[in-house]
Amino acid sequence: MIDSKDIIKQLEDRLMTFGQDLKVQNIGRVVKNTDGVVVASGLSNAKIGEIVYLEEGSSGVVLNLDEDYVSIILLGKADSIKEGDEIKISGKILSIDVSDELLGRVINPLGEPLDGKARIKNGKSIPLERIAPGVIERESVNTPLKTGIKAIDSMIPIGRGQRELIIGDRQTGKTSIAIDAIINQKPMTKDQQPIICIYVAIGQKQSTVAQVIDKLSQANSLNYSIVVNAGASDPASLQYLAPYAGCAIAEYFLEKGKDVLVIYDDLSKHAWAYRQISLVLRRPAGREAYPGDIFYLHSRLLERAVKLNKENGNGSITALPIIETQANDISAYIPTNVISITDGQIYLQSDLFNSGIRPAINVGNSVSRVGGAAQTQAIKSVSGKLRLELAQYRELASFAQFGGELDAATSQQIERGKRITEILKQPRFQPLSEPFEFLSINAVVSGLLNDVPVDRIQAFEKDYHAFIKRNYPKIIDNLSKGEKPTDEVLKQIEKATQEFKKIF
Amino acid sequence: MNRKKLKTLVLESYKNDILDSNIVYSIANFLTRSELKEYINQLKNHENKKNVIVLTSFAANSNKGFEKLFPNKKIVYKKDPSLMLGVKVVDNDNVYEFNLKNTLDNIISYIT
Repeated sequence: MIDSKDIIKQLEDRLMTFGQDLKVQNIGRVVKNTDGVVVASGLSNAKIGEIVYLEEGSSGVVLNLDEDYVSIILLGKADSIKEGDEIKISGKILSIDVSDELLGRVINPLGEPLDGKARIKNGKSIPLERIAPGVIERESVNTPLKTGIKAIDSMIPIGRGQRELIIGDRQTGKTSIAIDAIINQKPMTKDQQPIICIYVAIGQKQSTVAQVIDKLSQANSLNYSIVVNAGASDPASLQYLAPYAGCAIAEYFLEKGKDVLVIYDDLSKHAWAYRQISLVLRRPAGREAYPGDIFYLHSRLLERAVKLNKENGNGSITALPIIETQANDISAYIPTNVISITDGQIYLQSDLFNSGIRPAINVGNSVSRVGGAAQTQAIKSVSGKLRLELAQYRELASFAQFGGELDAATSQQIERGKRITEILKQPRFQPLSEPFEFLSINAVVSGLLNDVPVDRIQAFEKDYHAFIKRNYPKIIDNLSKGEKPTDEVLKQIEKATQEFKKIF
Repeated sequence: MNRKKLKTLVLESYKNDILDSNIVYSIANFLTRSELKEYINQLKNHENKKNVIVLTSFAANSNKGFEKLFPNKKIVYKKDPSLMLGVKVVDNDNVYEFNLKNTLDNIISYIT
């Protein structure tokens, strides 16, 4: 504990040193102020990404260095800036103060609170732009990150440190999948460490973000989550910086050896914000008027998703970027860019959504390139069959709709397919734990549901889970280990299922 | 006319390192409004680069120390009572503060 006299002495010493050093300041003058971008003369010592302070109190970040001028994006309102106003450089690169106190908070990309609570103090300053960890520090993805969604965990598994794109039209359930993934990270026991979740809202309506926060709060998931919000009404500069701020926060926890899940909702709007800034900066426009470095914009962000090896703390950052397509067109510029950067994609289709298949995942176009290695043996043992049978069903179903007689084997396969489709349906915000995911998928794959009517599958599933939980808790314990179930356990499951079918 | 050509015109506007009004007016006659605006800006920048402004809280006489510090530059002395004590040197976009006002400003920003 420092004595009060010592504190005053330290302050006095500091006071004596004020003004002893010659202070050199590099200044500039505002030449132009257009749509949140200020062009200034002078500032010959400014660096790219450096914070500058304007005379009227606002701040900005240097984005362009020209021969005579410097272009600055403003981090606040630009109303009161006049031509000729003085600008000073700070010598600091744009960074965000991060500490454990951020958990449960809603902040803007500069770390300022948006939830009406106190500002975060004594945080560690983490730069927004950072070079991603190199190959020596990394290890391959080997631990699953469970979303609690049967279709994803079984067929498109995500591993810690992976970058999995969620892509689809508007109103197809992209954000719901992300929220489900956050809710599912809630620790089951007191000893279990939760995965820190960061939800970055870019260019979203404030009402949508409020709903997300409300949902997380209702599910008691806010205490291990952080929401970074740069809404539709915020300047394009903040929308551009938001994902980097989210990633910087994730890196703080990564350094502590923790596992972090970051959701970028969504990178289409991020690209729009960057396009707006680039056009105002008069950078040459390319395809769809995006600047030439639009690929690098997203690749340098998503490269920061990582699974570190044991020597470097063994932490991970898993990234779930979201892209909104127009009319299901995944061949547009930004979707193809992000698809090529990420380690797989979950493709949601509006016609599947409208026909009641929710989550509306198009299994054919969805893929996880590295997640398979992280899947638990239990889920792996049932999921291989599932994907194949579902693909065959889709193929046969498209032919069967023309009518005509079908042979017994085909009819049986179509019936099985219908049941698989039905079992993979899942209500929003109700993620399942792995044992229950296994029970559902195993029931349909092993043919135990062949005699249950298709329209009763969902009711069957709900009651079946409750029945097993109540009467066979040992099965749940066995499946919780994640190991491949033994023949004995499988026999027990079959026996329990038959027993339940009698009373259903 | 692009910026590079205007820069050349700015350099040509000087005779023996002194801005020549005749050359300036004859150049200005050939320029469009936007070019003239850019030409004036560049003239101002050039003048700023050539001059060093020394602000003091009292009327200052020429000081050889500054001339040594900034060789090949014209030293312009100005009075600025708001500095209270000390000097402020403005060399193009670099400002050297060594005055009481700056010290007090630093204390205020440290406290608040």
